[in-house]
Amino acid sequence: MGLERKIQLGAYALFIVALFLVPEFSDEFWLNRASKYLVYGMLGVSIALTWGYAGVLSLGQGLFFGIGAYMLAMSLKLASPTSLAQGSDRPIPDFMLWNAEPDAPVELCCITPGSYLWLPFESVSFGMLMGVLLPAVVAGILGTIVFKKRISGVFISIITLALVLLVRLVVIDLQPLTNGFNGLTDLAFLTIAGFEFDPYSRSTYYLCAASLALVLIAARLLADTRASLILQAIRDDQQRARHLGFNVPMYQTFFFVVSAAIAGYAGMLFVVASEFASPTFMDLSFSVAMVVWAAVGGRSSLLGACIGAIAINWIEAEVSETAALVEAWKAIIGLIFVLVVLFLPRGLGGVAHDLAARLARRQSRKAAAAGTAGAEVKRHA
Amino acid sequence: MPSALRVENVTAQFGAFKAVDSVSLSVSDGELRVLLGANGAGKTTLMDLISGRIPCAEGDVQVYGRTITNWQEHRIASAGVGRKFQIPSVFRNLSVRKNIEVARCHSQSVFKNLRFRLPAADRRRVDDVLELTGLQDSAEQLAAHLSHGETQWLELGMLVAQDPKVVLLDEPTAGMTQGETSKTAEIIKRLRGDHSIVVIEHDMGFVREIAEVITVMHLGKVIAEGPVEQIEKDPEVRAAYLGSTGIL
Repeated sequence: MGLERKIQLGAYALFIVALFLVPEFSDEFWLNRASKYLVYGMLGVSIALTWGYAGVLSLGQGLFFGIGAYMLAMSLKLASPTSLAQGSDRPIPDFMLWNAEPDAPVELCCITPGSYLWLPFESVSFGMLMGVLLPAVVAGILGTIVFKKRISGVFISIITLALVLLVRLVVIDLQPLTNGFNGLTDLAFLTIAGFEFDPYSRSTYYLCAASLALVLIAARLLADTRASLILQAIRDDQQRARHLGFNVPMYQTFFFVVSAAIAGYAGMLFVVASEFASPTFMDLSFSVAMVVWAAVGGRSSLLGACIGAIAINWIEAEVSETAALVEAWKAIIGLIFVLVVLFLPRGLGGVAHDLAARLARRQSRKAAAAGTAGAEVKRHA
Repeated sequence: MPSALRVENVTAQFGAFKAVDSVSLSVSDGELRVLLGANGAGKTTLMDLISGRIPCAEGDVQVYGRTITNWQEHRIASAGVGRKFQIPSVFRNLSVRKNIEVARCHSQSVFKNLRFRLPAADRRRVDDVLELTGLQDSAEQLAAHLSHGETQWLELGMLVAQDPKVVLLDEPTAGMTQGETSKTAEIIKRLRGDHSIVVIEHDMGFVREIAEVITVMHLGKVIAEGPVEQIEKDPEVRAAYLGSTGIL
């Protein structure tokens, strides 16, 4: 194993260990915030997979995040005590009563048009499953169409951007089904096998940390496969890859689906930590922000993009809460972004990668020098 | 034994214009065929038709008796047709070694490639290809940093690693110095025998060195076919392509 590779694995190990040490140094309020940052870190990984490895810049990653969030939030909404206190023996979300026709039956099957879609979400496992599955299916359908038609570059960005805005509009418009603009609030805590994840407790933080570690390791392993090598080749030259016999749309779609599933998973965790789901998850600014995090951290580095996402959000919180900088924090964040793009086009991950490569070169030179020196000594002896 | 590559009456049509007009060609197993013709004769378009880049309006393409007409490019490639482009096309942001490794991954499907490394035999083959193309010293460099000649060799090396039954080479010596050209001829000679090769080439010195049979195209049609000496004397070829005084 080369030194460069050792440094890379060491960085992953260090980061994951650090993740689990954070609770030793912070209070519960801060831990809740940190959990959300870890969720953003996961989004950074999902962007790096599509943008860095596949060369596909999705400006609609918020769509998959939003779908994941809503799927779990629907289940947690039905599990919340208020939904059980609406005068029927089975849970009904409170907003459905506010939005129902006066003579509508107080049953989840038919209280508002389409409310029957909520029925399977009485099972939290179903909500959790759909939180990953539905983003993956949507990405699969979208990817198959887009990549088969050989749409690439800026056009994919435009299509994904349009799609996330479209879905956002639909979610807002379907008030009786989604509570529209207000989103889903007053959610139950996530409970798995009797264990309750209180968002202001260590357990939720550990859930997010373990999930991020899992996603990072899985994505790292995936990035080391031959399939990922072929994907990077496709990014460089699709035509060449096709004429080597690779089914190009299949590779692009596969990685797009994996990235969407990660974003959906992140959306679910965000709901657990923040106790709401809202159409703002599908705002354009949020999807663009994810791309910025990945650009700062380094789009072709999974760990870099992850750290970039966490760091920017942390800095953003610190700066926006410092009295002297309250007016200027957006300008500061903007400045950081501009500076990174101008001077570190490959982001922080790129810098780290170059440093590791330089170190490895120096090491091998030293080894070579020692080798010749040794030979000299032998010759003289 | 069926021909390695059999092209029958294929036509490429762009509007009313036929870039390739009912061309037939048969390359036998292990043969090296040179395609000759002035600019616009339809040589590259014929390769596009064979490799599936553009659809055949008419006609039929077969590889070892198997019809591959109008298949998708990656399926044609998997059926055993490899191609080198006129403008060298490699994966610029991958190292030289990785370029060849990619070419060595045989299965077209993403799921079959969810493995970590190539099998040992394939890794040895990658080393062989690096040596054959003389790129072993730049193996860890990015392909983007190679010189023009080295990029051409890398693409040839990728073809060797891919190991297709039929190899289509579009001007493999374009823009090369004399020395580079003769090294390219070496690589192509190594390919010969195990593969059936079609080469588009303009450099007559190079053509004389490698060619057995030459097919001459003019304005989308085949106008002559035969061994080098015969083609050089053919009055129709001289008139159409070489000019009445000739350059040979």
